[in-house]
Amino acid sequence: MNMAWKEIKKNKLRYTILGSIVFLISLLTFIISGLANGLSQDNASLIKNLPNGIFYMEEEADETYSFSSLSKQQQQEITEEESEAAFFSIQMGNFIDTSDKQRSIAYVAADSAYFPEVNPGEVILDASLEDEGIAVGDEITNEQWNQSLTVAGFAEHEKYSHSPAAFINPDDFQTLFHTDSMQIAFIADSAIQNADDAPIFEGLQAFSNNEFLNTIPSYNAEQMSLNMIVIFLLVISGMLFAIFFYMINVQKLGIYGILKAIGMKTGALFQMMWAQMFLISAFSLILSILISQVFQSLAPSGMPFHLTWQATGLLSLVFIIIGFIGATLSGIQIKRVEPMQAIQQGEM
Amino acid sequence: MSLFTIKHVRKTFAHGEVKEEILKGIDVTLSEGKITALTGASGSGKSTLLTIAAGLQTASDGQIFFEQQELTSMRKEELRQIRAKQFGFIFQSAHLVPFLTVEEQLALMLETAESSLSKQEQKKEIRQVLELVDMWKRKDAYPPSLSGGEKQRVAVARAIIHSPKVLFADEPTASLDSKRSQEVMKLIQKLSKERQITVLMVTHDMEMLPFVDHVIKMKDGIIINDITA
Ligand SMILES: Nc1ncnc2c1ncn2[C@@H]1O[C@H](COP(=O)(O)OP(=O)(O)OP(=O)(O)O)[C@@H](O)[C@H]1O
Ligand SMILES: [Mg+2]
Repeated sequence: MNMAWKEIKKNKLRYTILGSIVFLISLLTFIISGLANGLSQDNASLIKNLPNGIFYMEEEADETYSFSSLSKQQQQEITEEESEAAFFSIQMGNFIDTSDKQRSIAYVAADSAYFPEVNPGEVILDASLEDEGIAVGDEITNEQWNQSLTVAGFAEHEKYSHSPAAFINPDDFQTLFHTDSMQIAFIADSAIQNADDAPIFEGLQAFSNNEFLNTIPSYNAEQMSLNMIVIFLLVISGMLFAIFFYMINVQKLGIYGILKAIGMKTGALFQMMWAQMFLISAFSLILSILISQVFQSLAPSGMPFHLTWQATGLLSLVFIIIGFIGATLSGIQIKRVEPMQAIQQGEM
Repeated sequence: MSLFTIKHVRKTFAHGEVKEEILKGIDVTLSEGKITALTGASGSGKSTLLTIAAGLQTASDGQIFFEQQELTSMRKEELRQIRAKQFGFIFQSAHLVPFLTVEEQLALMLETAESSLSKQEQKKEIRQVLELVDMWKRKDAYPPSLSGGEKQRVAVARAIIHSPKVLFADEPTASLDSKRSQEVMKLIQKLSKERQITVLMVTHDMEMLPFVDHVIKMKDGIIINDITA
C-alpha cells in the first residue's frame, strides 16, 4: 500500500512547506551555480573552449604565463615529440576604437587550428565587442603603436581574464610586443586527466586544463567563493531535510510504535519516509530546474549566467543524496521507538 | 500441550536504585478458542503480563509458549513475524493510523500479516469484517471523523482481519460508555466463537464478565483466583 503518498495527501500543508523550502534552496543553488559557470565562461572561455589536453609553460615563470617564454628551440623539441602541438601567447592590453574610446582586451597570437587564423594587419575580436558597436572594417590602435589593425571579423565566446580576446597575427604580435617567443604550448589529448601523466620536457611545467585555469588569478578566487556558497546551500538543504523529517517523525512516533506492535517491519517505515523524501524533492527539483532554465533564457545577455541541463541534473542528484542522508539520520528515532512506549503513551 | 501457556513469569522494573518486582511468578494456560479475562486492582500488573505474553516486552524470568514455540527465547524478528501473522491487538485507545481510511487500516493489517489472499479476496474479507463490526458504511472515513465507539470497532476489525490465533486486548472498552462497551464485548465474543480465536483481555469492568469463559484475578503481581466458567 502506498502509505507515503496517502500521508502526503492527508497532510498537504506540512509537505507543501517542506517542498517549497527545498524548491527555494535548490533554485538559489542552481542560480548561483549558473553564475559561477557564467563567470567562469566570461573569465576564461578562450581556455575553456580548448579540448582536453596539456598546457606547458616555462618552469621559471612560476605559473605566470606572462613570464613564460618558449624559445624557438624548445618549440621545436615539443613539435618533434607532438606534431599537433599548438603555441600561443596572451598579452593583456587595451586599444582605442574609432570613437576614441579605450577598451581593455586580451591580445592572443597563435599558430593553431584551435584559434581563428588572422592575416597580418588584421584582428578578429570577441563577439561581445560587436554588440558594443565595433564593426568589420573598423581600425583599432593603441597609444604605444605606430600602426593600426583592421577588424576582419568576430569570434563567439572568446574571453580571457574577463576581457574580450583579440586574435592577431603572430608576426604582428612580435612587432607590437617586442618578443620573438611564444608563452604557452598546448597539446590536445582526450585521454590525459592529470598533468603528471603528460610527456615531460626539460625546463617546462605541465598543467591540465583545470590547473591552467586556476593560474588565472581572478579565476580561482571567483570560483572558490561561489562554489563554497553552493556547497553550503547543499549542506543546509541536507540539514533541512534532517530537521524537517525529525519534526514530522517526532509527531508520528506514536503511530510508528503501534505499527511496530502490530508487526510492521521497521524497514517498511523507513521506506515510507524515503518515498516521501523522494517525492517531495523530485517535485521541487523539477520545478526549480524548469524555473532556472526560464531564468536563463530571460536573463539579460550581459549577465554572466550559464546553466547546463547536466549541471542542474548533477546538482539535483546531489540534493537527493543529501536529502536521503538527512532523512535517514533523523529516521534513527524510528528505529529506536519501542511499541511499549506508544501503547503506554496512549494511556496518558 | 495447549496453544498458549505462561510459565513462572516474573518481571522486575528498576526505578533508579530500587528494584520492584511487578510480576512474581505467574502461571496461566489460555483455553483454546475461549476468552480469558485478567482482572484485579490498578497496578496489580495486568497490562504488564498481557504485553509480555504478546511479545511486546521481555520477561525477567520464566517462559511463554505459543504452539510449542518458546516466545521468550526468540529473536526480535521472529517475534515480529508471529505478532504480525498470528496475533491481533486491541489497545485501550484505538490507535488507528490517522491518514488511512477505515478500509485502508484493514488492508494495511493484511499487508503486514503477509496475507496469502488475492487482492480480490482481501477486498471481500475486509467488507465482511467491516459489516460484522457495522462499519462498512463508514469505510471511506478517516479516524479523526469517527466517534470513540466507532474507532474502537475499527480497532477490533483490524485486530481480527488477518484471522489471528490469539487476540490480546487491554481494556478494549475502557473509553466507551456502558452500552457501547456491551456491543464491543458481544462483538469480541462473536468473533472468538466464529473464528476460533483465543482471547486474553484485561478488564476492570465487572459488567464484562458474563461474556468471558475464564477469569483470572491478580493482586500485587500474583494470581489470587483462577476461575473457569
Ligand atoms: N516500564 C515500566 N517501568 C517501571 N515501572 C513500570 C513499567 N510498567 C509498569 N510499571 C509498574 O508496574 C506496575 C503494574 O503496572 P501495570 O500497568 O501492569 O498495572 P495494571 O494492572 O495494568 O494497572 P491498571 O489497571 O491501572 O492499568 C505499576 O506499579 C507500574 O508503575
Ligand atoms: Mg493496565
